[in-house]
Amino acid sequence: MSYIEFKNVCKEYKMGEVTIKALNNTNFSIEKGELVVIVGPSGAGKTTTLNILGGMDNATSGKVIVDGKMVTKLKNKELIRYRREDIGFVFQFYNLVQNLTAKENVELATEICKNSLNPEKVMEQVGLKDRMNNFPSQLSGGEQQRVAIARAIAKNPKLLLCDEPTGALDYKTGKQILKLLQDTARKENMTVLIITHNTALAPMADKVIHFKNGTAEKIEINEHPLPIEEIEW
Amino acid sequence: MKKALFKDSIREIKYTYKRFISILLMAFLGVGFFAGIRAASPDMVDTIDTYYKNQNVYDIQIISTLGLTDDDVYALSNVENVEQIVATFETDGQISIDNKEIITRVMCVDDLNSPVLIEGHLPESKNECVVESSFLTENNKKIGDTIELNIEDSTNDEGESIPYLQETTLTIVGTIQSPIYISLDRGTSNLGAGKVDYYLYISKENVNANSIYTNIYIKVKDADKYTTSSDEYENYIDEVVSNIENIKSERENARHDTLINIANEKIADAEEELNTQKAEAQEELDKARKEIEDAKKQIEDGEKELQSNREAVDAEFTSAYNKLIEGKEELENSEAELADREAEANKLFEDLENQKKELENQLEQTLQAISQIEPQYNEVIEKLNSPDLTEEAKVVLEQTKSQLESQLKPLNQAKTELENGISEIESGISSGKAEIEDAKKQIEDAWQELEENKDAYYSNRSSAYAQLDSAEEELKSAKEELASGEKKLEDSQKEFDEKITDAEKKLADSRQEVANIENPKWYILDRNGNSGYSSFIQDTESIANIGKVFPIIFFIVAALISLTSMTRMVEEERTQIGTLKALGYNKLQIISKYVIYASLACIVGSILGMCVGFVILPNILWEMYSMMYQISDIQISFNFEIGSMGLIFISISIIGATIYSSIKELINTPATLMRPKAPKMGKRVLLEKIPFIWKHLKFSQKVTVRNIFRYKKRFLMTIIGIMGCTALIVTGFGIRDSITRIMPDQYEKIFNYDLQINLKSELTDEEKETYISELISKGEITKTVETYMTSGTAINGENREDVQIIIPKEKDLLDGLVNIYDINTKEMIEIPDDGICLTDKVAQLLNVEEGDTITLQDTDDKETQIKVSYIVENYVYHYIYMSKNLYESIYNAQYESNVILADCNFNSDENEDEFVTNLMKEPEVASVTRISTAMTMMDDTMQSLNYVVVILIVSAGLLAFVVLYNLSNVNISERIRELATIKVLGFYDKEVYLYITRETIILTIIGLIIGLGAGYFLDYFIMETCEIDMLRFVKIVEPLSYLYASLITIAFTIIVNIITYFALKKIDMIESLKSIE
Repeated sequence: MSYIEFKNVCKEYKMGEVTIKALNNTNFSIEKGELVVIVGPSGAGKTTTLNILGGMDNATSGKVIVDGKMVTKLKNKELIRYRREDIGFVFQFYNLVQNLTAKENVELATEICKNSLNPEKVMEQVGLKDRMNNFPSQLSGGEQQRVAIARAIAKNPKLLLCDEPTGALDYKTGKQILKLLQDTARKENMTVLIITHNTALAPMADKVIHFKNGTAEKIEINEHPLPIEEIEW
Repeated sequence: MKKALFKDSIREIKYTYKRFISILLMAFLGVGFFAGIRAASPDMVDTIDTYYKNQNVYDIQIISTLGLTDDDVYALSNVENVEQIVATFETDGQISIDNKEIITRVMCVDDLNSPVLIEGHLPESKNECVVESSFLTENNKKIGDTIELNIEDSTNDEGESIPYLQETTLTIVGTIQSPIYISLDRGTSNLGAGKVDYYLYISKENVNANSIYTNIYIKVKDADKYTTSSDEYENYIDEVVSNIENIKSERENARHDTLINIANEKIADAEEELNTQKAEAQEELDKARKEIEDAKKQIEDGEKELQSNREAVDAEFTSAYNKLIEGKEELENSEAELADREAEANKLFEDLENQKKELENQLEQTLQAISQIEPQYNEVIEKLNSPDLTEEAKVVLEQTKSQLESQLKPLNQAKTELENGISEIESGISSGKAEIEDAKKQIEDAWQELEENKDAYYSNRSSAYAQLDSAEEELKSAKEELASGEKKLEDSQKEFDEKITDAEKKLADSRQEVANIENPKWYILDRNGNSGYSSFIQDTESIANIGKVFPIIFFIVAALISLTSMTRMVEEERTQIGTLKALGYNKLQIISKYVIYASLACIVGSILGMCVGFVILPNILWEMYSMMYQISDIQISFNFEIGSMGLIFISISIIGATIYSSIKELINTPATLMRPKAPKMGKRVLLEKIPFIWKHLKFSQKVTVRNIFRYKKRFLMTIIGIMGCTALIVTGFGIRDSITRIMPDQYEKIFNYDLQINLKSELTDEEKETYISELISKGEITKTVETYMTSGTAINGENREDVQIIIPKEKDLLDGLVNIYDINTKEMIEIPDDGICLTDKVAQLLNVEEGDTITLQDTDDKETQIKVSYIVENYVYHYIYMSKNLYESIYNAQYESNVILADCNFNSDENEDEFVTNLMKEPEVASVTRISTAMTMMDDTMQSLNYVVVILIVSAGLLAFVVLYNLSNVNISERIRELATIKVLGFYDKEVYLYITRETIILTIIGLIIGLGAGYFLDYFIMETCEIDMLRFVKIVEPLSYLYASLITIAFTIIVNIITYFALKKIDMIESLKSIE
């Protein structure tokens, strides 16, 4: 059994009379320490998958198992604990709390977590040792996303979920961020899942899951993932 | 306006109904409160205005110190704009019911000031009257019962007493309500305990018209066109008043002259009478004196006569005495002589006896001789006589006879001679003896006579002297009488002199008095002179004042809340605004959406607010005041002016805020608008510069502190909102506290007695003392204090206030039953001798300070200047404390107590009831006032004020709710992304909730604390503004009230927080993934 199992997961949204199937019988599995990239066009069900995996949304049917834990069976409070302890989340728009400094934003996450890492060390790790006491508004987009990643990994999660982490960044900065994620996954042996619509990023992953029409259409395994520096798009 | 835009506006309402409702609620509260409180005052004025118009109540009243006449009426009728004049009689009377003395104001039914008939009919004949309904219920009477009304005789101009009423036994024929007495206070009286208890109306015919009226009521022409107490009305009436002022002194002088003339005539009469009486008395005196003189002379003559009489009597009796002595001596001589003679005679008698014996011997011899012869002779004779005798015998015999005869003849002769001699001797002896006897007898007689004379002398003498003595006695008593007569005369003279000087002095005095006849003083009073009316108007003014302040708080909060709401709304629609702008809509069109939104909320809220406010608030306030006033039902009107004013204010606040926030966004270019708004920069707060504190804060606390200072607008809004709310609640409770404190402060702290026993006025000091010891012996009464209570009017300049005057019998001995505290030092003081203690509310009303001098007018309208030595604590009514010494020196009168204040010890209320009932039956007691009754009565009045507290708390609570709810909504909507993020980060619901509400709680606490302070000041202000003249509110807010206010505010915060909790729970984490709009 894999570290993460996504079995026959369906997700339906009811919009009045109409039922929209966001996920239709999706199946995939991820091993521990894998860097996974999910690619696919808009509306293919990437984000829904992420939401369900991250405990932010419930599946209509199917099973999601993370490290032996049946996420789909979790009750609200357990779900929160799951998010709290097992999941790190990196948003497209960083979602930093504007009123907190970079370090404090990291602390915001570590405060609630049992096995958290030292925020300062994490900050150093993401290369923001000198900007620790700056407010988000004083940081560039890349720096902000680093803070966001720091906030996510500082929780020492089982699973790091990244939703278009470079979506709001320029090429170069985006590359740096992806590098950070890749390095983190390698160094910390962390399971990282990155959603992107940019298929060019696929070579950096251990596993690439292609989404189309609400289901994981194709799963590729890269025997030799490329370091991000070598990928151009 | 474009159709699409309009649709958008309307849809916006549907989507953001919470926001819409919160703005609507703000408008509702603001306008409702404003309209309600603002309308209450005019509604109340309207009510009294209609009442007064219906009852045809006077505009101007004239009272004169010396009465008013028909001439005055005539003169007044010529004053411009005077439409109707009614001259009438008003006085105070006394009714005794069950040993209770009831003082009542007696008025006549007239064309003006008509009483409202509640039951029965108005008095139609002399022996009918109508009373207040409370008179019937409180005294157990009913319509048809009769009462005995005692009114002091009135005095006419000539000084004669005239019974005031023709009929004193009156039948109650109905109950009425007088427009003259709208407040429960009936004013003061110089009768009884000095307080009028009730009023009643009689028919005017029942008054013994002496054409000296007590009151003249005037109705001013066209005054009904104005609302009473309005400026127009006051000015219009003032004009007429000043017209009357013009004839005032003329009328006063005329009245003065009349009185002086009458008095002078009277004096002249009296003088003449005095003179004639003087003359008469003098004459009488003179006559008496002459009589005394005569009597004196007579006595003198009498004395002289007596003297001479005495002398004469003395002489007479001396001579008589001498004569007696002489007679006695003579008699004694005669006696001696007689004794001699007797002796001589006895010798003679012896001789005679001897002679007689001799003679008798001779006679015997003779007789023997004879007897010897005689038988011979007889034989002879017999022989002779014998017929047989012969002649010779005869001649022999004749010869013998002749011989015998011749022998017999000498013998007979001798016998006869002897017999004669014997008888001669015998008769000589017997005559001698007789003579001697005679002499003796004579002497005896003489003695007798002498004795008699002597007796006569003595008796004559004693009687003569007795006579003399009695004459002297008589004279003496006559003299004494004379002396007393003289004394009497002297006395009468003295008396006469005294009387004359007295009378002359009196005359002089009355002359002086005439000279002193003060000019009568006219008091020209408008309706404000009626204390009930003026206090009612004052109350409407204080309500108006409250109406000026309270709504401001609501408006400010409403404006602030709308500002935040609308700012948030505009911010949320930033992109849309940018789009519209880019599409070519002009600013006005774009703004109009928000203005429509806000206006709809405003208008709907305002109209709802008016509907509720106009009806509920005036009614509640009226309910409150109707406890203190007797007027008809309130007239609620939809006051368009006030309504639109409220609407305008709230619209300016809300729509202004809307326009302001829209314009702030609109000035940006469409491009800027379509880009997401740069998030507010995070900033370090001041607190971080104090590492000592900052380091010790938990992470979450630090976050909270940062956040609080990050949203300054919300920070302010929350604090102001909570502050306003707390302040209102504190005020509400504070009002209640102040009111509830009045009773214990007045009736436990200051007046610590249980019963006020009013004594009948005719009791002597001893009777009072006996009665008091009797009272104490009953056991229920533990302490008593005797005092004199009366009422008066304290005057300082234009300010006049009725006061109760308390003068304790023992200077400082109120014995803890009445405690007098200095208002400044709060220390207990003694009543000084050089001035009075004035209670502080009346001091404030009169504008008097310690050391100032006020004029005190007593019940007889006598005015005295008195120094105010102390201003003292008091809460209900106005009092003056005066020392007995000061009273006696000021009024030059003997102090007489009329009230016993008693501290009692009752086991139960029934015990007290029974005791008081028995007390009332006692002959010494005029009436009994129970503090407990007074407290209950006041409590009832006060109870009504609780409505205000409820209104305040409810509206403040609503305010707090709306503020918090609104702010919380804005807060969530503003920070939805942040909240979704932390949810994603795995914050438990509770943590998310705390993340937000920790700020709210801190802000609430800050607002609460400021609000508690602000509440104190607001309470102070409100209490100051709406304080009733009769009362002094203790401006205090009890700690418990702060606690309640805090708890209520906290409760509202909690309610809002609970709502927030669910709102937060509903936040979708997916929000965090969305791009920034």
